[in-house]
Amino acid sequence: MNSIIIVQMAVSGALMGLVYALIAYGFQLTYATSKSINFGQGELVMLSAFFSLTLLDAGLPYWLMVPGGLLFGAMMGLVVERACVRLSLEQKSEGWILLTIIFGLLSFSAAENIWGRDDRPFPSPISADAFNVFGISITPLELSVAIGVFAVMGLIELFKHKTLLGKAFEAVSADRDAAELMGISATRTIMLSFGLSGMVAAMAGILISPITTVGPTMASALILKAFSVAVVAGLDSGFGVVLIGIALGALESLTSFYLGSGWREAPGLILLIMALALRPNGVFGKANIRKV
Amino acid sequence: MLSVENLHAGYGSSEVLRGTSLHVKQGAVVALIGANGAGKTTTMRAISGMLKPTSGRILLEGRPVQGLPASAIARLGLAHSPEGRKVFGPLSVEDNLLLGAYSRLPKFFGFRSKAAPGLASVYELFPRLHERRKQAAGTLSGGEQQMLAIGRALMASPRIILLDEPSMGLAPVIVLEVFNIIRRLKEAGITLLLVEQFAKSALEVADYAYVMEHGGIAVEGTPDELNQNEKVLAAYLG
Repeated sequence: MNSIIIVQMAVSGALMGLVYALIAYGFQLTYATSKSINFGQGELVMLSAFFSLTLLDAGLPYWLMVPGGLLFGAMMGLVVERACVRLSLEQKSEGWILLTIIFGLLSFSAAENIWGRDDRPFPSPISADAFNVFGISITPLELSVAIGVFAVMGLIELFKHKTLLGKAFEAVSADRDAAELMGISATRTIMLSFGLSGMVAAMAGILISPITTVGPTMASALILKAFSVAVVAGLDSGFGVVLIGIALGALESLTSFYLGSGWREAPGLILLIMALALRPNGVFGKANIRKV
Repeated sequence: MLSVENLHAGYGSSEVLRGTSLHVKQGAVVALIGANGAGKTTTMRAISGMLKPTSGRILLEGRPVQGLPASAIARLGLAHSPEGRKVFGPLSVEDNLLLGAYSRLPKFFGFRSKAAPGLASVYELFPRLHERRKQAAGTLSGGEQQMLAIGRALMASPRIILLDEPSMGLAPVIVLEVFNIIRRLKEAGITLLLVEQFAKSALEVADYAYVMEHGGIAVEGTPDELNQNEKVLAAYLG
């Protein structure tokens, strides 16, 4: 009996961890092309979730809301690139750190003013009635999170490896100057990465909101964990974030079960500190090897 | 084909180029030689748009291109194989070559079939690259990376190629091979602007040459003229 509970906790936690992984994947996309990170990524998740909820409230069916929400996320990603990142990259400054944090704070206040401070339920047509697999109960809703996460990451990876535009994306990551010499516009490629990253954030919001709720504070809860996952796995680790995300999610839910929910945030932070001390490039990160 | 007129450029407050002018005719191989720090690489970087010139004009087929971003100049038919080769290390050899043709290929699907003839001719010139086409470019030897950088520039079917120090850091045997390739490119009628530290070898393949000193052109002429110029002989040709 006890072991079933443990497995149950781990599985539920792991599903949550997949959402951390998806947000962490969004970090990777912009880091690859621009070596910058949007610290307002959690707020992008939150804004997109609220926007999607508004679409639903306006009477849009769920399956039309999804592309609408994704489009909104992509547009917000472009806004971040234009407002917070482009100028500081042109001046080779690290100004994007502060600017993206400011973007997050502004978004938080805007969300409070537009949608209110309360957490709100996010309806979904996918059933939340659990079914049993080997004694572990899983809901179709939870399953949809897993499928959604893998679908989005899989599609983007396919794009990166199978299309010329995707290869150009990787070329800009590898050597921005050389990519420019091939006729690839680095600025446009960075815009593309922020658009994709915003879309990924929106997807995370749409997937997780029916399970948790939508509220202005959802960003800070998600972002810290997602950031831990991104750094622990490595900012260039690709699918590595999935494994770390699952592990962290499971660890988190077991910690809160055994030690109390106050300890919930501890594993993420401990893992983050350990990774920075022991493997700064991340568990799956590639160390910088350069032939001279 | 390419005209550079009174070009000034530099990094920050230090001016490296102080009024450089040069011309490259269609189908010609032009060499740019000179001591380290004379401004050869800076000239190349300013021409291809990697560095914004502070003043002066650069005409590519009569069209002013100074101040355009490097990607736009590349799309106009100028391929720059930069100093240090700068291949895309994590990507495969073949992907590097495909990216060389980026501006003339479809961006999503069908780019492989459209690039096939170009790929075939590059592989014919560099059979070694065909053997290693699936390998990550960063794992190639220095000589192979140089072949890849040249092949990548050829993939664009450019109007002119800028080759910056193709022999840098390579073993003498490989340097000979590189110059053989340059000779073959010349026979194929490709327009080349070549920066070289091996002035002697460069003058052997070039139709015309410029000697740079302190950010400007000190001497220019055909290789025969330069070979008879005592100053050049003493300083660069030993």
